[in-house]
Amino acid sequence: MAAASIFVLLVVIYPLWQVLFRSFLDAGVLSLKSYQKVFSYPSYYRALLNSVWISCATAALCMVLGTLLAFLVVRTDLPGKTSLRTLLVLPYALPSFFAAIAWIQLLGPQGYLARLLLQVFGSAAVPWNIYSAGGIVFVLTVHYFILVFITVAGALERMDASLEEAARASGAGTYRIMREITLPLVLPAIVAGGLLAFIGALANFGIPALLGMRARFFVLTTSVYYALAIPDFGLATALSSMLVLVALISMALQFGIQKGESRYTVISGKAVHPAELKLGAIRYPLFLFTVVFVLFISIIPVLSMVLTALMKYWGAPLTTANLTLQNFTYVLKLETAQRAVSNSLFLGAVAATAAMFVGTLISYLHVKAKLKGSRVLDFLATIPYAVPHTVIAIAMILAWAKPPVSLYGTLWIILAAYLAVYLPFAVRTTNSTLQQVHDSLEEAARASGAKILPRLRDIVLPLARPGMIAGWILVFMPAIRELTVSILLYAHHTETIGVVVYNLQDAGYREIAAALATLVMALLIAGNMVIRKLTGGVAGF
Amino acid sequence: MDKIRISRLSKKYGKVLAVDSVTLAVEDKEFFSLLGPSGCGKSTVLRCVAGLEVPSEGEVYIGATRVNSSADGINVPTELRPIGMVFQNYAVWPHMTVHDNVAYPLKLKKLPKELIETKLKDALHTVGLERLSDRYPSQLSGGEQQRVALARALIKEPEVLLLDEPLSNLDAKLREQMRFELKDLQRRTGIPILYVTHDQAEALAMSDHLAVMNAGRIVQVGTPAEIYTQPADRFVADFIGLMNFVPGRILSRNGEEATVEFLSGHRLSVADRSDLSGECLVAVRPEDISLSPAGPIRCRVVVRSYAGHLIDYKVRADGAVLRVQTAKTEVYKEGEELGLAVQQAILFAARES
Repeated sequence: MAAASIFVLLVVIYPLWQVLFRSFLDAGVLSLKSYQKVFSYPSYYRALLNSVWISCATAALCMVLGTLLAFLVVRTDLPGKTSLRTLLVLPYALPSFFAAIAWIQLLGPQGYLARLLLQVFGSAAVPWNIYSAGGIVFVLTVHYFILVFITVAGALERMDASLEEAARASGAGTYRIMREITLPLVLPAIVAGGLLAFIGALANFGIPALLGMRARFFVLTTSVYYALAIPDFGLATALSSMLVLVALISMALQFGIQKGESRYTVISGKAVHPAELKLGAIRYPLFLFTVVFVLFISIIPVLSMVLTALMKYWGAPLTTANLTLQNFTYVLKLETAQRAVSNSLFLGAVAATAAMFVGTLISYLHVKAKLKGSRVLDFLATIPYAVPHTVIAIAMILAWAKPPVSLYGTLWIILAAYLAVYLPFAVRTTNSTLQQVHDSLEEAARASGAKILPRLRDIVLPLARPGMIAGWILVFMPAIRELTVSILLYAHHTETIGVVVYNLQDAGYREIAAALATLVMALLIAGNMVIRKLTGGVAGF
Repeated sequence: MDKIRISRLSKKYGKVLAVDSVTLAVEDKEFFSLLGPSGCGKSTVLRCVAGLEVPSEGEVYIGATRVNSSADGINVPTELRPIGMVFQNYAVWPHMTVHDNVAYPLKLKKLPKELIETKLKDALHTVGLERLSDRYPSQLSGGEQQRVALARALIKEPEVLLLDEPLSNLDAKLREQMRFELKDLQRRTGIPILYVTHDQAEALAMSDHLAVMNAGRIVQVGTPAEIYTQPADRFVADFIGLMNFVPGRILSRNGEEATVEFLSGHRLSVADRSDLSGECLVAVRPEDISLSPAGPIRCRVVVRSYAGHLIDYKVRADGAVLRVQTAKTEVYKEGEELGLAVQQAILFAARES
């Protein structure tokens, strides 16, 4: 208990407290000066406004798209629903800044689609600009709509079919039933999913960084990055506090809706399959539309990444003569890339192991031993879940980059940040894993004469093992592709894979960046398959 | 000597008093049941004996050892208590074979391998599982998992066996069979059993003594026959078996016999040793009412329901509806007018004090 508390204190509470505290500090005195600065310079308060409207627009589009697709896939007789569903979820398994890179390759000024358009219509320039607010909203939507899709699909599946059948028996037609029965019943799920998309878009760094900074279009996360580069810690912490505030409000709303949803007793996990809606004449047109859409958002970006990785140089004509493997051999020999791969693997493995270890400890104290105060510990450990990763990185700089403990420029500060970022995920997995191990199994061991250590060794841990391995991979996989935290904390020699891909892309070495990204994607997809196998398809994408 | 002795045991959860000053004793070789509706605190008492809950007040002895004392701050951990326990959901470890499940308590004692195998064979033989030794729990039926749990509880040769609703997850047929097996097993091993159940038929069938609990308190302790024929209060009368309650008035007393008058004016002599007078409640078991065309109290059959070994009637007499059970040969039609006679009744105060 004491060890876990100290860990949470050092990695979560103290750093985050530093952010809040420093935002009210000016030259060692308490003041509101940093906040005044934010609101007196248009470029800063505009970042706040930009963040809010970009996230709102993203959430709105995600709600429309996610609901529509969830409905098509769950409630209609659309052909090939299961495969479509798997493919839809695929983009979310890849990091969002990979998506930004792929969409730049496709829609950017010399992108594949732009060139295709040029060839077909002979127009001089494409009618869109990916480096813009619109581009950011587009890529964010394509990345986050899946959150709405998953919540709404779940609600639709759990809905009692008899509610609709009762409406039909009362004489209502299909359209009327959908509008007056089905839609109101899944509305909480739609809004909850929309808020998740909002929070995701708000905290996202990679997409607005790659698409917005070039056009000098800033949101909160990229402004914090900018403020750190000045460096102006007062400004960075004030912006961070506002970012956390907006995230907390939306999270509270989301939590409220989820709680409220449980009042709809109809959506209570009954295994009655709702009737499939016959699409009739529009079945195949809709199928075609969905297939094209899925190809467009999940297959084509991946292909684009692979294709770019295979090109002799970015912008080369698309002929077989211009295909090469030299980018892969180059990136594999690149010292920075090698170092980044070993750094990321090291950080991922250590973070996953430590987070699962502490997570298991906290969960055991909370779920099984039910010790006093363990609930508070559990809550404190899940706080970082509500904190955008940019803010966590700042927190680590404030807490652990000054004497007496100066970790700045070492891997340890990145590790500390990873631990804070992934601890909530670890605790949530271990909580649910341990909850599934029924209390009486451990009590039976006690009654058999087993003290705490044999009990853990022989009963609890073996039973929790599959869930814990899955949890380890669920931390390891996002950790090895992490960008937001590492880009703010890396120094020479402590680059991570995300940092190297980002810097290569930013410096214009797009085919090299794509080659490294392709290798990482292959690794992620393989890891994903392992996790699905381990958990019988419950976890993973 | 008492194998389990509980004195003035109380357990509070926050402000809720789940167990209220319970005192009881289980003798050697005795089958003792705690019976009561769900939420009455019976499982909490058992879990206090097991050490899985810490009592707020009171003392618990297992054999001569004091395992709990709130006054002296004693709380022996479960793993050091000489108990065997069987859980409602069996709690057979799914990642271990039958062999490993049952051998586990001995493995913890670090006994030599050969000795473990010998004892294991005995234990599996006792519950009739010799041939399933290498199976995993998922390959066993509910009844077989039950036996694994029993063998695992017995193998460490505990001083007492604690059973927490062990039969409630089995289907009806198997439950009846296991009743006899448990009883038989206890006779053979002589181990004292503290048994928790909400099933009164189970408790009556198996127990040497039982304690009926309600709202955290013990309401009555006795042999099954005592509990059935002389329920201490209305709650016990109602909870154990079937009971008709009819309001009445005590007119007079003559020694150990009281004369009761029903609202309709009919009178009845009841053996009663209480000091009740005036308004009262007359409790009659369905099998203590007989039907015949000549019975003194006129009634009409409302519903007849055939139960195989008996016939269950609902009859209306003087505005009251009574449940009557007769032998399977006494067949009357629904709507038929006839008479009833009360063979035996118990008197309770009209209002619970």
